[in-house]
Amino acid sequence: MEEYIKDFSAKIETALKNLPVKEIAKALNILQAVYERDGRIYIIGNGGSLAIARHFVGDLNKTVFSSHLNKKTKRFQAIALPTTDSELTAWANDIGYDMIFAGPLKNYIQETDVLVAISSSGNSSNIIKAAEVAEEFGIPIIALTGFDGGKLNKLADVKILISTAKGEYEIVESIHSAIFHLMTKYFKDYFDHKLEREKLN
Amino acid sequence: MIIAKVPLRISFVGGGTDLPDFYRRTPGRVISTTINKYVYVAVNRTPLINKVSARYSISETVSHPTNLQHTRIKSALLDLGILSNIEIASFASLPAKTGFGSSSSFSVALINALHVYLGKKVNKKELAEAACRLEIELIKEPIGKQDQYAATFGGFNIFQFNSDGTVDIEPILLDYKKQALFEDHMLVFFIGITRTASSVLTEQKSKIDINFETYKKMADSVFDFKENLIKGDINRMAEILHQGWLHKKSLASNVSNDLIDNLYGAGLKAGAWGGKILGAGGGGCIMFLAPINKKSAVREAVQKIAKKNQLNEFCEIPVKFVQSGCDIIFNSDTNSID
Repeated sequence: MEEYIKDFSAKIETALKNLPVKEIAKALNILQAVYERDGRIYIIGNGGSLAIARHFVGDLNKTVFSSHLNKKTKRFQAIALPTTDSELTAWANDIGYDMIFAGPLKNYIQETDVLVAISSSGNSSNIIKAAEVAEEFGIPIIALTGFDGGKLNKLADVKILISTAKGEYEIVESIHSAIFHLMTKYFKDYFDHKLEREKLN
Repeated sequence: MIIAKVPLRISFVGGGTDLPDFYRRTPGRVISTTINKYVYVAVNRTPLINKVSARYSISETVSHPTNLQHTRIKSALLDLGILSNIEIASFASLPAKTGFGSSSSFSVALINALHVYLGKKVNKKELAEAACRLEIELIKEPIGKQDQYAATFGGFNIFQFNSDGTVDIEPILLDYKKQALFEDHMLVFFIGITRTASSVLTEQKSKIDINFETYKKMADSVFDFKENLIKGDINRMAEILHQGWLHKKSLASNVSNDLIDNLYGAGLKAGAWGGKILGAGGGGCIMFLAPINKKSAVREAVQKIAKKNQLNEFCEIPVKFVQSGCDIIFNSDTNSID
């Protein structure tokens, strides 16, 4: 049992040591630019990645601004798509499961926005369809993928690839979650620091 | 209606090496960032008004773009084949000719908005190149390429101008703490005198051969500046700026003048580590990097000289760095149902 646990930890450690640091930094810059221009951040994923997507929406919209909740500070506008189960089932049932993200994305998308797409394989067809909508519209795509990155990694402007053997979902999803927490912490620190500086001036 | 928003920029070192007479022989390099001051260009479709309107410091309404006085709008419209039924207006947070690259920011905003108007998708590189083409080839300004690229891409970047005319973009990934540290040591003052960049650059351009080695040093100092920027060594950055300013002054007779020298000297004497004139020179803005406890002294020293020289428009310009480049912040054409 102990060996099993150590093996898993070793894999996580290797993945953490090889984090695509520059790509993560680029993603932070893009999110900063989207914030500056009042754009929206659409975050999409399937299954475990959907759970991560929703978690990050909450963190970006609320946790980041924990020290600012009573202030007029402009906040992030992160959105998990589709926003309702009725839209999800309507698109899936009437049109096809491929369209559950791409369809609702077209309702909202504007030049100021960014798409954050999470897919361990990088090949989920509904994620690719949404990425194609973003590409056609000309907004940046931040992709979090695993394995060999698949089609999504190729399409993306920012390629956060956790490269692993095929099927290592647990490793990939754990690291994705850590990266989102890093981003949350970065922006929380950034806005807290801003508040401190304003007090000083 | 389409509205493009484009930031102004501050370039730190390497300015001038983006001129083709230099980079055709050896790569030019500039390190710059965008700031929280913007140019906005609004473009409106007027299907029922068979005219072309341009609204900026004056208002022009003509029947064909050839009759416009505004050279950039005229050339861009003729080049893109937009000959009628359009209104174009511009807005800015600072006056033109202050050394923040505002005319190129305007060109980038204009070209971007007009491409959206035509339903043409362009990526950032194409956009920067289209703005360069407008200013350098079509209007024949004697300027380089750094401003169009800085305004389009946004944030801290090194631009390398290659001999084949291509441009490499290296974003400098700087965390918020380093940016804030830099901002906190920086002072920018509008001198109160404006000049066109081309008046300075024409002489500078004619002497590139003689000053070739100086330009080379300026292009190389970009790496040194970057290294210290990442380290957060503001004192050393200020020294590099100071060296760069001395180099730049030697490139043409009108880069500096007695007034600028007096202001700069007073700032240094009051405790600033170093600084430079923003933009091509001859006027515009002066920037200092100073220890935080010396900032008030620097302020007082330069204000005293400004007062003595009756520079009524002299003022401090608070500056923050931004990550954004050229953005379309409003587009009601996409959502129109007709």
